[in-house]
Amino acid sequence: MLDLLPQFLANGIITGALLALPAIGFTAIFAVLRFPNFAVASHATVGAFAGLVVNVTWGLPAVPSLMSAFLVAGLVGVISDEVALKPLRKYGALTTAIASIALTIVIENIIRFFFGNDLRGYDLPLVRDIRFGEIRVNPQQLENLALAVVIMIVVFAALKFTRMGKAMRAVADNPDLADLKGIDAVLVGRIVAFAGMGLVGVGGMLFGLGTSIDPLTGFRFILPIFAAAVVGGLGSVPGAVVGAMIVGIGEEMSALVLEPAYKSAVGFLAIVLVLTFRPRGLLGERAY
Amino acid sequence: MTISRLTFAPSRRTVLAGAAALIASPAILRAQSDGITFGTLTPLTGVGGTYGPSMRDAAASVFTAVSQAGGLLGQQIDLVSEDTQTNPEAAVRAVRKLIDVDGVSVVIGTWASSITTAVAPLCWENGVMLFTVSGADSITRLPHMGYIARTQPNSILQIQVAGEFMLRQGATGMAWIGPQTPFAQSSIDILAEQAGAAGIEMESLIYEADKSTYRSEIDTIMRSNPDFIMLGGYAADSTVVLRDIWQAGYEGRIIGPAYAVNPTVLEALPNDVTEGVYTWEGAPDVTGGAYANVRAALGVDVVDPYSAQTYDHANLAVLAAAAAGDAGGPAIRDSLRSISQGDGTQVSDALAGLEVLANGGSVNYTGASGPCDFDGIGDITGTQFLFNQISGGSPSEFERV
Repeated sequence: MLDLLPQFLANGIITGALLALPAIGFTAIFAVLRFPNFAVASHATVGAFAGLVVNVTWGLPAVPSLMSAFLVAGLVGVISDEVALKPLRKYGALTTAIASIALTIVIENIIRFFFGNDLRGYDLPLVRDIRFGEIRVNPQQLENLALAVVIMIVVFAALKFTRMGKAMRAVADNPDLADLKGIDAVLVGRIVAFAGMGLVGVGGMLFGLGTSIDPLTGFRFILPIFAAAVVGGLGSVPGAVVGAMIVGIGEEMSALVLEPAYKSAVGFLAIVLVLTFRPRGLLGERAY
Repeated sequence: MTISRLTFAPSRRTVLAGAAALIASPAILRAQSDGITFGTLTPLTGVGGTYGPSMRDAAASVFTAVSQAGGLLGQQIDLVSEDTQTNPEAAVRAVRKLIDVDGVSVVIGTWASSITTAVAPLCWENGVMLFTVSGADSITRLPHMGYIARTQPNSILQIQVAGEFMLRQGATGMAWIGPQTPFAQSSIDILAEQAGAAGIEMESLIYEADKSTYRSEIDTIMRSNPDFIMLGGYAADSTVVLRDIWQAGYEGRIIGPAYAVNPTVLEALPNDVTEGVYTWEGAPDVTGGAYANVRAALGVDVVDPYSAQTYDHANLAVLAAAAAGDAGGPAIRDSLRSISQGDGTQVSDALAGLEVLANGGSVNYTGASGPCDFDGIGDITGTQFLFNQISGGSPSEFERV
């Protein structure tokens, strides 16, 4: 079984990179708005279906489809936050988190209403794996990995160098101080909801590119996304990337010691271990 | 006018009586119902959502026809349809509502085996007849006291037939890969036994459902170099597995249940991936009158096996109630085999059967899914299997056994 170790590691890195995008979105929203938004599940599905419409119905390639996944999921994120979650934030994080679970069920069923329950696939050429020695990788996976890395670099650059990125970090670190400096926390909140859910949407579509999508697509990833964010440190963007890699690689490598039927136990185990020994996550909760 | 507090102070006895009335209220509501109430519990959403709506419609068409023709035992049939969401927790909530609130005496159409396993105890404890299309062999071994009847061949028979097919096609190394289901382990055991008897290798792997990729699982199963792989999952995970197997460069043969490699999967995957894949299913009796009836009722050319079965469930429930003179669950259970098999007049729909029964005759219902004869534990006896092979993205008949 150990002969499969390099292959499992490669599979884990690819899974982890894809997981990182929605995990960044989830943790960024937590950093600024201070509640775990479980509606990431349905927003991943929204992104996957938005990409599907552009790719299959309009016949455009993957990159414009991913852009539409970002825009539509981001817009749905802002609107649903304004309508359903923002009015509840004054009642506390727990109330808002529970409402976000209800929201995800509502959005999932709206998607079901328009698209039905059937599985749908993207209109992209499917190619066989290529081999690098003992390791086989699919070109589509490599493309997804590259896209995920590029998007992560853009996110980090935006947080580090742009005015809005600095404003986001300021609100995440200390909302009162940011307010004193004249930063509009409401506007920052909207932009974070847009960008965060946009990233979740892109993640949903990237996952869908490797498989097929249905209205439950996003719901399947909620546990690893949450685990990645918690492991890295809720609210920490680099932490989300580290957490995603740990969960992604951990899930794939678990096949060496666990029955594959218990793969999801890795996510739970990671959450339990981190909350027990390092409750603020591996990288703490600083946004950047 | 003043009312003393004492007047409203409830005694212990009043409180107990009130509580008892509250607890008994579903039964009271049931007693107040005018007509006969039957329920469908099909997967309108979730991975079984492809089949659930037409399964419900097929059953509803029977009840509508009977009600329009004067009803059952002089009463109209009310149909209440609930959604399992292809999720056991949701299905249990739904069946509780059907039993406690709607007071149904029959539940029709549970699809996934995990769901039937979850709702069956609630049915037999409440004296409700459960007609199911689930295949897991463990279901009819439950202590159901006769309250379960299934029209789907059980998983043992299904896997045996498919395993024999794989060997007939010259398999030299077999593999089974599928998610954790009530029939996963028994499927592996049966194939392992068949492979052992034939002196060939057999590898198996149970994976976790609802994952976006099974690359590591495929790598694991490929280590034994199988030349014939059986899929054991449902549509969503089989799509991913088929794609991953193809991408891994596998050139051998694959067989999967028709409900897993179904038209939506064929639509979602490129033809290259599904080319040559075999599927198998319990075959509806396409030549019979009942099949023609359900085709007309649904307005389709080809009826899926599950809608054919729920059409039969509805007919069987109506005829069993009519034969017993009572539409309650226990009466339907007791008279089911008197109208599903035996020497009575062969009928292929409830209306014809009701006429025979009204004239003092006996009936033998022959359904859209097959003869609908049941053994002592509620499994069907005598069914055909259809093997298809996918070519150019669509299935074509390979053989019938």
